This record gives sequence, structure tokens and C-alpha cells, in this order.
Amino acid sequence: MKSGGMLYMLGALFYFAVSAIYFVWTGEVVGTTGLLLTGFLALLTGFYVLFTVRRLGEGPEDLEDAEIADADPDYGFYSPSSWWPLPVAFSAAVISVGLIFAVWLVLLGVIALFISLGGWMLEYYRGPRLPEA
Amino acid sequence: MTTLDDRPLTESTTPRPRRYTKGQAFVKWITSTDHKTIGYMYLITSFAFFGIAGLMALVIRAELAQPGLQFVSNEQYNQLFTMHGTIMLFLFATPLFVGFGNVIMPLQIGAPDVAFPRLNMLGFWLFLFGGLIVLMGFFTPGGAAAFGWFAYTPLSTAAYSPGVGGDLWIMGLTLSGLATILGSVNFITTLLTMRAPGMTMFRTSIFTWTIFITSVLVLIAFPILAAALMGLFLDRNFGTLIFDPAHGGAILWQHLFWFFGHPEVYIIALPFFGIASEILPVFSRKPVFGYKGLVYATMAIAALSVAVWAHHMYVTGAVSLSFFALTTMLIAVPTGVKFFNWIGTMWRGSISFETPMLWTLGFLTTFLFGGLTGVMLAAPAIDFHVSDSYFVVAHFHYTVFGTVVFMMFAGFYFWWPKMTGRMLDEKLGKLHFWLLFIGFHTTFLVQHWLGAEGMPRRYSDYLASDGFTTLNVISSVGAAILGLSTLPWLYNVYRTWRFAPKVTTDDPWGWGMSLEWATSCPPPRYNFVQIPRIRSERPAFDLHHPEYGDDPNTNPNLAGKSH
Repeated sequence: MKSGGMLYMLGALFYFAVSAIYFVWTGEVVGTTGLLLTGFLALLTGFYVLFTVRRLGEGPEDLEDAEIADADPDYGFYSPSSWWPLPVAFSAAVISVGLIFAVWLVLLGVIALFISLGGWMLEYYRGPRLPEA
Repeated sequence: MTTLDDRPLTESTTPRPRRYTKGQAFVKWITSTDHKTIGYMYLITSFAFFGIAGLMALVIRAELAQPGLQFVSNEQYNQLFTMHGTIMLFLFATPLFVGFGNVIMPLQIGAPDVAFPRLNMLGFWLFLFGGLIVLMGFFTPGGAAAFGWFAYTPLSTAAYSPGVGGDLWIMGLTLSGLATILGSVNFITTLLTMRAPGMTMFRTSIFTWTIFITSVLVLIAFPILAAALMGLFLDRNFGTLIFDPAHGGAILWQHLFWFFGHPEVYIIALPFFGIASEILPVFSRKPVFGYKGLVYATMAIAALSVAVWAHHMYVTGAVSLSFFALTTMLIAVPTGVKFFNWIGTMWRGSISFETPMLWTLGFLTTFLFGGLTGVMLAAPAIDFHVSDSYFVVAHFHYTVFGTVVFMMFAGFYFWWPKMTGRMLDEKLGKLHFWLLFIGFHTTFLVQHWLGAEGMPRRYSDYLASDGFTTLNVISSVGAAILGLSTLPWLYNVYRTWRFAPKVTTDDPWGWGMSLEWATSCPPPRYNFVQIPRIRSERPAFDLHHPEYGDDPNTNPNLAGKSH
């Protein structure tokens, strides 16, 4: 992960440098702001990744001589299948169309969104269903 | 890993999945959180959008074949080219990147799935619904959006483009843009945290690298698009004056749009460069030449692509010509490095011309033309003369069609056995390639001359006395051939589905390099029964061909030498 974080930091450096050059060269503000904020975006992500690596340490995926067996046996839980993404996306679509055509559609969409988001978040509240064979 | 080495390589590593009824299969697909199934849905849906926008292109070419208006009105023509560009960029090329990334990338890093499986599916549905909302514009009284795919203000404001078609366009693209952002977050997290042990960043395949770097670019570019679109929506519906020309709003829109728009063209190009970097080594029987060079070139292209946006705005007179000419020409350097590496990969290799390789060579030649005209257009002195002419149309079709469509088909032919368990027919594939290659170049090569002679883009008509007729006829004939080339492809898919024998090996091409060739065709749920030890960027090749590996115990050429 460290290499990934360093790449982001490299990007931050590049965009800060380019925004400075761009500002001195052209004096144009929209692009300067865009480039500067791009630099901060890279800095934010890079900082977060490096910060996390320092706390967690490098995993076997970053060691050149790791064996497959070195992977953490507790790999984490992966949703085997789920109905919830469909209603969440559909609610978002209803809200979008409602913003164009009718306020009541927006209200309906927001209600549907909250219900489906609730379903999404609580789907594994009672523990995971067993994955299919 | 002695267990794998002991068995014959012709055996697949997993049993066949069980069969489902149609209803079961449907529910299984729409509730899936499997990155492969979601990837297939992305690929199928974006290919359907490609077909729709391709039909629009055929209508456009039919209209332009002769002077005068034959088939559509001016209004309909505006809608057609707007929606053609919009669909091709946002609903075909961009989700196609997410599709290929989803299917292939987790396999190549040895991950069982992506980091956020449900978020992945949410992304697909947002893309599908967003795309359908954009298309809904055609069924409204005012028709679909008709202000060009880059929606310049004030043309796209409520005063000049009334009607809900424009609003549907904005909201649909916002939704599908959100889908792309979610997909990219997923890819980056997966790549940073879920690689198999030993799969360091600098051992991942070039395709995986391009997916990573493209995702970073998406996170830079797409939020800006979303912000600009929301601003435009507020201007159109709630009376705000964000893009009011009275205080520079027109230029502000162009800045925001192209600050998104130029990274976007690399977002749709880089993953397909990645596919080329996967295919060339396999059919040249050589490792990719200059692995690190390719990685750094990809990074350099991505980094520079954010600093070139205003070369789309030369003719506004409101941007620095020298700065953007410099950065734009600079970007040719890492792209040249890539070409150098691709040619170096083939150099003195044992090349064979299976369909994936053919498509990749088609991409190399086509994209090279587009790149050359790109350097020409980067020079303001040339750009001022041909801006908004057919020269630009020819240029970006050579780059975008050359990468996305050619490498999409290359990827399909290459990974079809991995995705479906069946090899596509080689003869039909070659017919498909040559029809498409000839059709494409007939359509777009002459458009360079049309543009240089002064034919402007986005006009529905021209006069017989303009002298554009002959070249337009040639171009339209080419478009017809291009359209026809889809038929052998569709027949190939059908025939393969019905009649082709199952692939029984993990690596049907015989010289597969990256990790996806070390699992069955198609891979099981959670991808791997066993993962081979990873010691290079070619783990599947090391597994299947230990006689060429770095291990002195198995490679006779290294025997007796210490490493």
C-alpha cells in the first residue's frame, strides 16, 4: 500500500508545481484553482493511505517473497448477492426525474431512498446468509 | 505448489457451474454481487448503447451523403449528433472501462471479488438508469438534447435550449457519472488492499496499472463534471446565474467542462492501451518490453492530461496558447514511449496473427494516425484554421474509435474464452476485423480533407457548389461497410454461444501471462481454487511454462547458475 500512497504524493507534488507554473505563466484563475484543488485531492488520498499503512503495516501483498499461504485467513465478509442496490439506484433515478417533472416524485423518491438505504445497511444485521454452493 | 505442477495442464481447475432456469438466472444476475457478472452486465449494456449510437451515426452519414436534407430535419440532426457523442463518450466508452476493469482486474491481482461488491452493483444500476434517462429525451415533445455533447453555455441554457430534453440529459449524465465515480473508488480500494500475497504493485499487469491510474483520473475529473452539470441544472430550472455570460459564465463552463473533458478522453483511452499491453506479449511470445517504462508512461500521460484542457479552447481567445500548446505536445512523449514499448514487445518475437492480435495491430495503426493529427492540432497556428471542422472530427474518431472500439473487440476476442468458456470463431473474427478496418478508414480518412477544405462539423447540410459531395459519398459508403461489419460479429457471438466447443484448459491461447489465465474458463465464484506463487508480473506464464522462468530448478538455461 505504501507504494500506492507514494504515487498519490507524487501526484500532489506535480499538481502543486503545475498550478504554480500555470498561475505565473497565465494568471488565469479558474485553471489555477482546478489544478491546486487536484493537488489537494491527491494529498488527501496519499496522506490517508500512508497514515493507514503506518498503523496497519505492510501486508503480504507488498512483500516480494510472500507465499499465498501468508494471506490473512480471515479474509473478511463479501456479500454473496443482494437485492438492495437495485432499489437504491431506482430511488436515485426517481429523484433525478422528479427534479425535472414533479415535486411529488422527488418526495416519493426520497422516501424510497431512505427505506432502501435502511435495507442495504441492515441487510447483514443478523449475520450473513450462507453463500450459495 | 507441487500439487499444481504434478497435474497435466490441459485440465481445468474447477468443475463446471450448475445450470439455472431462465427465471433463476435472471434473478441471479440482477441481484449479483459477483464482479464478473456485474462486469458482463456493464459490457453488454455499454455494447447496446454502442449499437444505438452507431445507428444514429449511420443516419447522420446517410443525411450527409448528398447536399440537401433527405432524411431528417435540422432539429433532428442536432439531436442525433448530440446524442451520438453523448452516448459514445458517457454511456459506451466510460462504462466499457468499468466493465473490462470489473471482469479482468480482480482476476489479474488474485482477488476473490472487488472491495465493495454491493457498491459495484449500485454503480451498474445508476449507469443503466442514467443512460435510460438520457435516452428518454427522444420521447419528450421537444426531443432530446440538441446542444452538442459539450453543452456550451449559453446555448444549453433554458433561453436557447428550452424543453426537458436538456434537463434529462443533465440528470442522466449526473447519475451515470456517479456510477463511474463509485466504480473507480471500488477499483482503487481493491487494488491497494486486495492483491494476492507477493503481487506487489510493480508485479501487477499493465492492464491493472491502467485501471488504477484511470480510476485516479476519474476521481479528479468526474466530480467536476457533476458540479458543472448541477450548476447548469440550477441555471436552467431555478434561475441562478452561474453560467451567465455577463460575468464570464460562458468561459467558466468551457473551463469546467474541459477540465473534465480532457482527462475523460484519457479515461477512455488508457484502459484500452492496457488491453493492448496484455495482448501483444501473448501473441509475440515475449514478455512485455519495458514494463516500468509503460507504467511510468501511463502515469505521465494521466498526470499531464489534467494540464492540457484549454487546447479545446484556443479559438475563444481567452486562454494561454503557449502554455497549452507546450503541455499538449509534451503528452506526445509518453505516448511515443508506449508505442516504442509495444513495437519493442513485437520486435523479434514469434508473432502469430490470431484475431486479438489483428485488432491490436489495427489499433496501433489507427491510433498512430490520430495521435499525429493530435500533435498537429496542438499547434494553435493549425488549430485556428481547422477548429470545429471535419479535420477535428476525423482526428478524434481516429483516436477514440482507434483505441476504444478496436481494443474493445481485441479484448472481447482475447478474453471471450475466459468470460464464457468458449472461443470465438477465428474466420468470422477476421472477416469482422477487415470489414471494420476498411469501413472505418474509408469513413474517416477522407474527413481530414473535408475539414482542410473547410467543411464545418455539426452542419446538417452543404451546397453542391461547396465541392464536398464526392468525399462525403466516400465517407458514407465507408460508414455503411462499418455498420455491416457488426453482422459477422453478432453472428459470431451467436454461433459461438450455440455451437462452439467448451474450452477445457485454463489458458487457451497457450502463452497467457497474467493471473487470469491460471484459473478456469469461466472462473468460479470468488475466482480461484488455487493461486500459484507470484514471483514476477507473469504468474500464469511462470506456472504453465516453468522451463522459461527465473527458477534454476526448472529452467534448463539457468541450471547451475545462482540467482
